[in-house]
Amino acid sequence: MSRSVQLGSSPLLASKTPVWRSKMIVAAVAVGFMGLIGRAAYVQVIRNDFFKRQGEVRFARTLVLPASRGRVLDRNGMLLASSVPAPSIWANPEDMERDPVKLRQLAKLLEMNPAELEKKLENEDKTFVWLRRQMDESRVKEIQALDIKGVYSIKEYKRLYPEGEAAAHIVGFTNVEDQGQEGVELVFQKQLSGKAGSRRVIKDRLGRVVEAVGDAVPPEDGQDIQLSIDSKIQFFAYQKLRDAVQENKAKAGSVVVLDAQSGEVLALANYPSYSPDRRVNLSGEQLRNRALTDTFEPGSTMKPFAVALALEKGLVKPETPVQTAPGRITITGSTITDAHPHGVLTVNEVIQKSSNVGTVKLAMQIEPREMWEMYSAVGFGQKPQVPFPGVVSGRLRPYKTWRPVEQATMSYGYGLSVSLLQMARAYTVFARDGVVVPATLLKAEQQVPGVRVFSANNAQAMRKMLNMVTGPGGTAPKAQTMGYSVGGKTGTAHKQEGKGYAGHKYRGVFVGLAPIEAPRVVVAVMIDEPSNGRYFGGDVAAPVFSTTVQQTLRLLGIQPDLSVKPQVVAKAVEESF
Amino acid sequence: MTRLSVLLLMAVVVSALALVHSQYESRRLFMAIEAEGKEATRLEVDFDRLQVERRAQATPLRVEQIARQQLQMRMVNPGITQYVNTPQAKAKPEVNP
Repeated sequence: MSRSVQLGSSPLLASKTPVWRSKMIVAAVAVGFMGLIGRAAYVQVIRNDFFKRQGEVRFARTLVLPASRGRVLDRNGMLLASSVPAPSIWANPEDMERDPVKLRQLAKLLEMNPAELEKKLENEDKTFVWLRRQMDESRVKEIQALDIKGVYSIKEYKRLYPEGEAAAHIVGFTNVEDQGQEGVELVFQKQLSGKAGSRRVIKDRLGRVVEAVGDAVPPEDGQDIQLSIDSKIQFFAYQKLRDAVQENKAKAGSVVVLDAQSGEVLALANYPSYSPDRRVNLSGEQLRNRALTDTFEPGSTMKPFAVALALEKGLVKPETPVQTAPGRITITGSTITDAHPHGVLTVNEVIQKSSNVGTVKLAMQIEPREMWEMYSAVGFGQKPQVPFPGVVSGRLRPYKTWRPVEQATMSYGYGLSVSLLQMARAYTVFARDGVVVPATLLKAEQQVPGVRVFSANNAQAMRKMLNMVTGPGGTAPKAQTMGYSVGGKTGTAHKQEGKGYAGHKYRGVFVGLAPIEAPRVVVAVMIDEPSNGRYFGGDVAAPVFSTTVQQTLRLLGIQPDLSVKPQVVAKAVEESF
Repeated sequence: MTRLSVLLLMAVVVSALALVHSQYESRRLFMAIEAEGKEATRLEVDFDRLQVERRAQATPLRVEQIARQQLQMRMVNPGITQYVNTPQAKAKPEVNP
């Protein structure tokens, strides 16, 4: 038997081939198959997790589930800030379609001139350029309708502030990245912002989600923050303040309305203000929340505290006469004077007529330590427990460093500094029969226990004096308001400039409460540098107090405690023919 | 033996096709639910937006302006207010059996 295979009749193929060659080919093919099988086993069985992962990378996507930012609400659940979708438009200049007609239309929809748009798209190496952020949804739909290659939209949110400038200082604002920048938006950034969730999905060739992989992490939406502010009271307070600042040609002004019982801030407004939706060319003057961050020497609005302490110590009674003639008193070489000299005044009248000499005479009988303790107890020199950026504690020096003349000047409001909120909060001590409560910006769920500083009797006696201030012969008859009894204290302080006091720069202040028998609100008003002739607190700040109290008590549904001549026409007289 | 093999082969093919179909069906339904979910979010966002818009239409500033200028209204004050006191004790409504 021959050891070769006859492959054909062609003489070319006639040559004998050795059998091992064909066997070798069979073997080679077998080895090839073995290799493939080995590889297949490797891919499918041994390292299959690696390839599975690689596959997933190519079609599975992680989607971010954005959390929506919480809303800011007023005490009645009215919106003060809320987020709405506002898509942003971006472009990829590298592979953008540059059809001049379409670009012109695009520029028009983006509200920019074509040259400006051209400039943005100039650099063709870039792959990402913002064209315009946070646009109207309808506008974006129009842009999408143009269908320009290389122009895309991305979902973003914009914050809206329906109250506008009236509540701007309280609510604050966020930046374009949805980060709080000022006010409540900044303080409660953590609670408001929430936490984004995520999920894994499989997308098909067309980018449609066809399957979910594993469990999704649901987004945690930001919490709503409910403030103690009442948006109606806030608006009226702001409006009256604005009118007063403009009328008196003043530099600025602030107003604080506190609920006398709970210490909740019902309104807190400053002027000048700004519109949080359109923040262009903002100045520090507009941004500053003066009621919380500016301190000033309170002037005569401090007098009730020293006098109430004198009552508390049993040094005087409301009817005790105090000699204030000749309107001057000298303490360790420094002379303190009254603007209008009076004769013998009762303690009541010392407050009513705002006599420096009378107050100093009472204050000098008090130990510095006791005075300091009382000031601290009502919150002077203490940081208010209001969570807010830039809240100041004011200045109250330790009593050990007080010189006698300093104790005297402090009793009528010089040589220490307070913020308007501190002042308003301190007056709750008179409103709540001697118990002071902390001020709060958040809606109070329950009554907070207060700290007793004065006895109820003395607090009521002081309220009577404060009431007399607004009566005939007092310094602030303009604080009266129709239907409600009010009480308060004026203050007109020289402004400090550098080391001394500025000659013709004043601050008119009025702090008061109403209704006098059972106070519900404490209102503090400060007008900075009134320059339209009048500058006394009783002339510039008291009218704001009056109108604010009127509106606040009406909105709180409190019945007038004074009888008013009714102007209601119950029955029209019939016309005679 | 061969018949059994053919039968089993057919069973395998049928089950494979069923698997493909049910996978397709599940993806289709998933896409549908996804679309509905998206619509729900959109409506929710719309609701929020409309709430803000409604609020913006009813801010005290706007109400005041319209009341004053268009409707010639004026601020109420205690002089033109009739106060009606409802006794607290009798607040319970009487229930008829």
